[in-house]
Amino acid sequence: VMLLGDSGVGKTCFLLQFKDGAFLSGTFIATVGIDFRNKVVVVDGVKVKLQIWDTAGQERFRSVTHAYYRDAQALLLLYDITSRMSFDNIRAWLTEIHEYAQKDVVIMLLGNKADVSSERAVRTEDGASLAREYGVPFMETSAKTGMNVELAFLAIAKELKQRAMQPLDEPHFQIHDYIESQKKKSSCCAFS
Amino acid sequence: MACVISGLPESIIAAACARSGQRVLHVDSRNYYGGNWASFSFSGLLSWIKENQQNTDLSDECEDWRKLILENEEAIPLSSKDKTIQHVEDFCFDDQDSAEGVEEAGALPKLPVFGAPAAKGVSVGSEESPAEEGVSPGSEESPAAEIPVPESADGTSPSTDSAESAPEPGTTEAAPSESAAQEPKKITYSQIVREGRRFNIDLVSKLLYSRGLLIDLLIKSNVSRYAEFKNATRVLAFREGKVEQVPCSRADVFNSRQLTMVEKRMLMKFLTFCLDYEQHPEEYQDYESSTFAQFLQTRKLTPSLQHFILHSIAMVSETESSTLEGLQATKKFLQCLGRYGNTPFLFPLYGQGEIPQCFCRLCAVFGGIYCLRHSVRCLVLDTASGRCKAIVDQFGQRISAKYFIVEDSYLSESTCTNVCYRQISRAVLITDQSVLNTDSEQQVSILTVPPLESGKAAVCVIELCSSTMTCMKDTYLVHLTCPSTKTAREDLEPVVQKLFNLNTEKETENEELEKPKVLWAVYFNMRDSSGVEKNSYAGLPSNVYVCSGPDPALGNDCAVKQAETIFREMFPTEEFCPPAPNPEDIIYDEDEVEPEESGLSNSAETKPESSAEESSSGADAAVTKEE
Repeated sequence: VMLLGDSGVGKTCFLLQFKDGAFLSGTFIATVGIDFRNKVVVVDGVKVKLQIWDTAGQERFRSVTHAYYRDAQALLLLYDITSRMSFDNIRAWLTEIHEYAQKDVVIMLLGNKADVSSERAVRTEDGASLAREYGVPFMETSAKTGMNVELAFLAIAKELKQRAMQPLDEPHFQIHDYIESQKKKSSCCAFS
Repeated sequence: MACVISGLPESIIAAACARSGQRVLHVDSRNYYGGNWASFSFSGLLSWIKENQQNTDLSDECEDWRKLILENEEAIPLSSKDKTIQHVEDFCFDDQDSAEGVEEAGALPKLPVFGAPAAKGVSVGSEESPAEEGVSPGSEESPAAEIPVPESADGTSPSTDSAESAPEPGTTEAAPSESAAQEPKKITYSQIVREGRRFNIDLVSKLLYSRGLLIDLLIKSNVSRYAEFKNATRVLAFREGKVEQVPCSRADVFNSRQLTMVEKRMLMKFLTFCLDYEQHPEEYQDYESSTFAQFLQTRKLTPSLQHFILHSIAMVSETESSTLEGLQATKKFLQCLGRYGNTPFLFPLYGQGEIPQCFCRLCAVFGGIYCLRHSVRCLVLDTASGRCKAIVDQFGQRISAKYFIVEDSYLSESTCTNVCYRQISRAVLITDQSVLNTDSEQQVSILTVPPLESGKAAVCVIELCSSTMTCMKDTYLVHLTCPSTKTAREDLEPVVQKLFNLNTEKETENEELEKPKVLWAVYFNMRDSSGVEKNSYAGLPSNVYVCSGPDPALGNDCAVKQAETIFREMFPTEEFCPPAPNPEDIIYDEDEVEPEESGLSNSAETKPESSAEESSSGADAAVTKEE
């Protein structure tokens, strides 16, 4: 699972929140030393090992190596709901994904920092409609409070497990439906 | 420390410096990593070709940055145009027009144009295509015959980026796919264009010696976790107009059907001697002044064995290499056998271009800052101290640093007036079958073609199959390399004609039909700046280090040696690329390691060394990046 998105949208914190249940407070830490983390989650009684990779700061000047996209089975694409710019750049990231990632990569769009809704610059509807346009699931998250963080990874794990096991007769796991039924809405904004 | 351009030696140095706590800025004016070590998708290579065929003049060179140079400083301008690639000629042996308007298929099924109405329903995405491991749906569906080219309206704006590439997918799906299954697979140029992303075409063609310096460094530094490798599966020879497989391991020799019992014994005896030839000086000392070829003639070996040893195992020159060089090379080859498989070589999945990126990733993880598409105008020399103190970039920003690593191609003509460069001749072909068909299609082969006329160098041919992730299914990617005597095409085309069928017409001689058909080819010369001494460059301060571009040798020892030498000059007391800690061990607060169940944990906790060291099967070695 690869994390992607502009510098400072909270990718590293998102990863650490999931891995360790902790939030790195303080100000901006540019990624140093976080390469990837492993975590095993249990999905429907089956253990799924997620290896989650961070960008190592190479996204800052849009210099992520192509190799980063190549082996990704899933990509979590993050923007910061308090930064319009980070949202607008999502299309550029999607173009890079389109160019370098594998064909069947699972993509999820996440609007992070939902806890600071007072400084919100991107409406939830905007995130949702962008996601709909690209046919990818979407939710707002908070690496600080942990809101929907676990869910994002669990949904990915479920989808990947489903693909690996490939029971042809079973009904397909619907990642969209699953997320819609599970996700918590950020307090101030009703989801349309 | 500032590093300009991201070839292999620079990337290794950057990684080593970041690893030992230096702050590293790594800039490259191109929009891809690797410089002349890069690899490209098919469309990427086409634009690279176009770029290198145009002779853009530099009249619009802006010299504004000169204003930023202070009184007690001097500027050493850097070149903004890469002149290392010459004589680029590409050829298509299929109907190129049929591919007009064909777009490269991307990862997302559909990338809508900005503002376009939402795609049908919510689940256009991944769910619709169940996971087909590594199989490209595109190539399955499309008929082997001509692809219907959609007369698409978007063809009118070819300059816009891939976001617009959404010709109605219905056209291809509608085509009857059953007839395709019966016909022999015939790849067309349009298919190559459409499946262009499956190609990772290297500008340099190299293999990793399994006990070479690069493998050692990858393992030692833990950079191996960022790459995967495949064994070269065959060593081939070209003798009397035919391609043959060379038995090189003990098992190969015994299983060989082409060797007689006597030959097997002769070969084993000689190879065993080579493994510890230093212990038996009496065997070769009389021939130390002769060539290795002459020495082989005295060793009671049949002509075919001599050919195998000289050209395919030692891979040395028939006319120039001494007995000792030959013995050394043979020993090196033999020592590399069996570490990862039946040949001494590994090839990185997705191409050699991955390797610099792996080192850049390590550098970034340890705080290195990466900036592609960012060019540097000049170095700023402090006249008093004679040292370089900063660079000035394209925006006129000054960036100060203590050490500077610059690749040779960035140095201006005035810096390089006294430098005499050699050239490397390269060819890359996309072909429809292997030069030597066997029961398995998936072979990675190395073939040395001895000089066809005297005075020329032997040509190294590396043939890659689609499982190396460098070419699409049912094609082979063939790299030819030799030191240049003329243009790449003049040097290499005779060899290409010997090995391949270049005819586009249907009616060809029977003999030609057996040869693999070339679908597409490119030739180019690359500057070989390896072996240039630093003092040949005029006026470079001592804290500016020059890295060379790719060298013509098969292995990567040259780049690793250069990187280590430069690193040691800068930081004599620091360790060169010590193992990077396991990511799980880098702790912010506390970290608990959960108990791993053996069923699921393939090797995250196993150290890369062990998996690399012990894997001796023919399968991928040194696996990393577990899913």
